[in-house]
Amino acid sequence: MSEKKIVKTTCKSCHGGCGCLVTVDDGVITYIEGDPDSLTKGTMCAKGLGSIQHINHPDRLRYPLKRVGARGEGKWQRTSWDEALELVTGKMRELIKKYGPNAICNTQGTGRGYNRYTARLGNSIGSANRGIGSSHTCYFPRLKAFEATFGVYRLYCDYHGWGGEYPKTHISWGKQLEYSNADGEQSVWFHEALKHAKNLILVDPRATAIANRANLWLQIRPGTDAALALGMMHVIINESLYDKEFVSNWTYGFNQLRERVQEYTPARASEITWIPEEKIIRAARMFALDTPGVIQTGEALDATNNSTGTARAVMCLMAITGNVERPGSMMSWMAPPTGPIALFGTELEGNVSPENLAKGIGLDKHKCMDFGRCHTQTAMKQLREGTCDMKMLHEHGGNLLFSIANTPGTREALLNLEFISVAEQFMSSLAEIADVVLPVAHWLEEEDIWDEHAGFYVGAVNRVVNPPGEAWTTAKVYYELGRRVAPKFWPWKTLEGMFDYQLKKANVTWKEFSKLGCLATKGKDQKYYKYKTDFWVKGGGFPTPTKKVELYSTVHEKLGYDPLPAYVEPNESYYSTPELAKEYPLILSTGGRIPFYFHTQYSNIPWLRELGHYPRVQIHPETADRHGIKEGDWVWIESPRGRIRQRANLFAGMDPRLVIVQASFCYWEKQGAEKLLTSNANVLTSDDGPYDGPAGSTSLRALLCKIYKAEGKDDTEVRFS
Amino acid sequence: MTRKSVFRDMDLCVNCKACVVACKVKHRSSPHVMGSIIAEPRGLNLIQVYPFGPEIKNDKVIQTFVGIACMHCEDAACLKVCPSSAIYKDPQTCITLVDKNRCLGCKACLWACPFGAPSYDENGKLALCDLCMDRLQEGKKPACEAACQARAIFIGSPEEIKELRSRAAVKRLAESIGQLGLG
Repeated sequence: MSEKKIVKTTCKSCHGGCGCLVTVDDGVITYIEGDPDSLTKGTMCAKGLGSIQHINHPDRLRYPLKRVGARGEGKWQRTSWDEALELVTGKMRELIKKYGPNAICNTQGTGRGYNRYTARLGNSIGSANRGIGSSHTCYFPRLKAFEATFGVYRLYCDYHGWGGEYPKTHISWGKQLEYSNADGEQSVWFHEALKHAKNLILVDPRATAIANRANLWLQIRPGTDAALALGMMHVIINESLYDKEFVSNWTYGFNQLRERVQEYTPARASEITWIPEEKIIRAARMFALDTPGVIQTGEALDATNNSTGTARAVMCLMAITGNVERPGSMMSWMAPPTGPIALFGTELEGNVSPENLAKGIGLDKHKCMDFGRCHTQTAMKQLREGTCDMKMLHEHGGNLLFSIANTPGTREALLNLEFISVAEQFMSSLAEIADVVLPVAHWLEEEDIWDEHAGFYVGAVNRVVNPPGEAWTTAKVYYELGRRVAPKFWPWKTLEGMFDYQLKKANVTWKEFSKLGCLATKGKDQKYYKYKTDFWVKGGGFPTPTKKVELYSTVHEKLGYDPLPAYVEPNESYYSTPELAKEYPLILSTGGRIPFYFHTQYSNIPWLRELGHYPRVQIHPETADRHGIKEGDWVWIESPRGRIRQRANLFAGMDPRLVIVQASFCYWEKQGAEKLLTSNANVLTSDDGPYDGPAGSTSLRALLCKIYKAEGKDDTEVRFS
Repeated sequence: MTRKSVFRDMDLCVNCKACVVACKVKHRSSPHVMGSIIAEPRGLNLIQVYPFGPEIKNDKVIQTFVGIACMHCEDAACLKVCPSSAIYKDPQTCITLVDKNRCLGCKACLWACPFGAPSYDENGKLALCDLCMDRLQEGKKPACEAACQARAIFIGSPEEIKELRSRAAVKRLAESIGQLGLG
């Protein structure tokens, strides 16, 4: 008799959160599908469904490894967890003693509902230099701009209709929530909300998959989004289409904003963005008049050298149209019964001393780093120069070599660290240059509490099968590291005790929660118009210094930044570097995303790799024709920094001057330079400033390049210089 | 069970490939080995999504994605041309099924099918979407329909599909002539 069971769990193939049901037959996973009774209604994406091939993948890391050869030589010795943990935490203790806590950087990649563990470990060590990574070009510039403007960490699009209304006008801005997003659970909500919508405005250089449905496609020049938002506000304010009640009662600095937007007439905005003036005006009127409306923003806003200005401009656009906290507009969701589970990490913020905080790398210039804390690009520069306070990197599930600008320079910087430890499922390019590699479980092998970005529910990740070899779950790796390096802050006798602690506010134990599967604040339990109640401020208001939505940011003013949103031309463009544009005549964006990959992940999963064997560069057919390039040809894409090759995908839905490369393509089947450099978009990008002021962002979506056909598939050997 | 037909909304599909992978999970229609990563031809897909466009005409974007799989035609051309009578119909649901023992692997069905839907397994024999008949019998949606976040796939009786399409048309008409909510 075979034993068959169905386990209810939460997918973490992206940040995730889709409820799923997994069938296990005699310890082998035989089926995986969405849970129709979950918040994601039984839907799942290719990434989550492909997990079934992740589990028994022959390349999974099974045992802790320590380096025996030179760094990157690929010579490893299997070791015990005890020894591996002692190597890592022993090094931490040694370096803290020698240099202080700021020598330790404990960080992560995109995270899979474990941000709080990374934060807690970093805080319990007391390092101001935790959290380097790509957060300065992904998500955090927006979060910090939300915080400066509204006092809350993020407003989400209300796709749910819980307040009795759905968005009438959607703006999808530099985002492909329809198929590729870190928070994949939101995709089905977006699709269903679109069925109730009257208008869809698409802001994207490309005709994305929803372009056929958009009433208006604003085909924007990459990196110029702030000018569009400011131009739209010019129309809305000067035509008196703004929400007068909301603006006069609940915003601060409207007159200063009114003055600022006068510089950005629709004609000027059109000149900058290449969008016809008439369309900017139509979009502005549509968004202001057909309310409620939402703006779904993507990473494109963050990956520019004006990330804060761009995000702030878009947020002011939400505010002056009154699209805040009303049903069907931008919402700050109330936490599930557990409270914000991120507190598990942030409750120890005070453990980083003011002296150490003051010495955080790059924080003197880029003061709005927050969770990201120190400024990654400054750290990389200092590491290359040998002047960096950071001596050790402990990375959990991330890969700086793919995720930040200037891959060769990043590698050079990281090789100057005294010690690198990496917790991973596969031998990543970063793990290849580590001193210790710790094997980690996949979500189907884990037990944990999963934390949703939108912040209104938590899900139970339940173990379906055991991890391979001696791989440990993420929670266990953090728990065991924490207990060794800062036992005071990791006092629980068991891992289960640590879960119980995180759930205590909801008055459930881990065992109970595991069975419940989900705790959510939804439907009628969500409150709209919280600013009209005592929710944030007694007597009403927003949790900002002025208790109002700060169109004029007093926080940025105090820190010495521009308190109003403004447009800044990309560092590299036809207008800012016209001489360079003669040699590199095409605009390069590294924004190409594939719905069945998540950053470097999943190009080693057969079912997914079959769908896109090789990375694709999108080139307009006219441009391709001029270069003698045909569909499927291997093409060199060259920037002033270097060159990579990808296969041509002729795509007519964009400006012929634009080239879009697929980001983060990792050849998992190869090693060393070939795996890392062959097609990696960040070989082309620059980590030189000037950066965005508050957030320190680099420009990844608006650079210059040239292209030419590669003769033969492997006509040049790829190696580290 | 009643007769089953397929409706794939070409306006809603976004080419995310979830249906393709959901189908592989259900039917195991691909070798489960690392070797297949680089190997071409690719693994077997009972459904595949193809893009059309984009073309930009008069400022309008023409771009659509179409999932191609067996349409389970009432008067199926493949069935008529099959020399070994390997293709047959489930009498209740009208789902097109294949008897692999009889299939010669001659590919005449591929000549006949106006959709190019037939796929062939590693032995060269016909492999077709069976609308996840076993799931339908359990009262569940087929794997592709269940997974689809865009809600672009609908499998039901021809009457249900007609109802769905008509209602969508009524909504469009009402909106375009500005009568919505006044009736």
